[in-house]
Amino acid sequence: MVLTKKQARLLMVKKGFLDMLPLNLAVLPWGILCGSLAIQRDFSAFEAILMPLIVFAGSAQLVAIELIANNASLATILFTTFIISSRHFLYGLALRDKLKVLPTPWRYGLGFLLTDELFALSGHSKAFVGQLRLVYALVAGGSFYLFWLLWNVTGVIAGSYLPDLTHLGLDFAIAVTFIALVIPTIINLPILVTVIVAGLLSVLFKLMAFELDLVAAALIAMYCGYLTERFQQKYSAASSDGHNGDTRQILKDK
Amino acid sequence: MTLLTIILMALITFTTRYLFIHPRLPVRLGAKMAKLLSFSAPAVLTAIWVPIIFVQQGQLNVSLNNPYLIAASFAVLAAAKSKSIYLTMLVGLITFIISRYFFVL
Repeated sequence: MVLTKKQARLLMVKKGFLDMLPLNLAVLPWGILCGSLAIQRDFSAFEAILMPLIVFAGSAQLVAIELIANNASLATILFTTFIISSRHFLYGLALRDKLKVLPTPWRYGLGFLLTDELFALSGHSKAFVGQLRLVYALVAGGSFYLFWLLWNVTGVIAGSYLPDLTHLGLDFAIAVTFIALVIPTIINLPILVTVIVAGLLSVLFKLMAFELDLVAAALIAMYCGYLTERFQQKYSAASSDGHNGDTRQILKDK
Repeated sequence: MTLLTIILMALITFTTRYLFIHPRLPVRLGAKMAKLLSFSAPAVLTAIWVPIIFVQQGQLNVSLNNPYLIAASFAVLAAAKSKSIYLTMLVGLITFIISRYFFVL
């Protein structure tokens, strides 16, 4: 089947939308929580909607709403926002070589849309390469932005009618989404090591109330995954020095 | 005041996302660095979800009374077996609701 350019583009629009759809639905409770919490903490409707519109960050919004409501200093609010957002530096670095070559509007646009969710869908080795994959990323990231806005606005409108949602366990929706995204990507030992180390350290650092818990746990886990892979390669190279060609082949296939 | 705070927050979140994809930034990633960064998705995403499951109100909660833990266990199994995002979310949410609201052990 030969596709015209237009048909191919339409197909990518559809795929981008459908791939992001479960994530768009999963942040419904979280978005409503953000919107309604802002209203309950005496933000104006305009301020409450400006948050998802320009800040566009779930956990940073939520924490900042509580901080602002408690009259925290501007420096505290901004520093906390920076700490929570600092994981995005890793996303930018990981995608740097693919995104830095794009024309300016694409770069700014995709940069703005680069959430945890879009990053989670950007694992393909050719992600963002070529116009069709850009369309895919734009629709996936853009639809996430629109849904996030929609859920927040819903929360703002429902705001004062809703009870305090902060202790209902809505954060489980986020956890289960990331479980669904991460577990199937564990296809080899280095990734398994990465996931286990990240899980253990993130819990440990959280219990220690270490501010950079997330990023520190992730960085150390990445390094452990990297070392595991290096070790595997060394081991397979060493065994190939002997006569055991079969072992080498098996190790390589892993 | 709140307005200014929100605008400054937006500048910070955008900067953290955009900075390293800016072409003029004098950063060159070697092959080793690229390899290291290839582990960033499983590392960061895991460091987001695991504490949600195990840490509540600053306390470690490893017990059958923890609905997050029970539901997450089922979700991990579902994800490993099916690799389907929808099925995993469905299994996770149903087991979460059951263990949280119906089964208070």
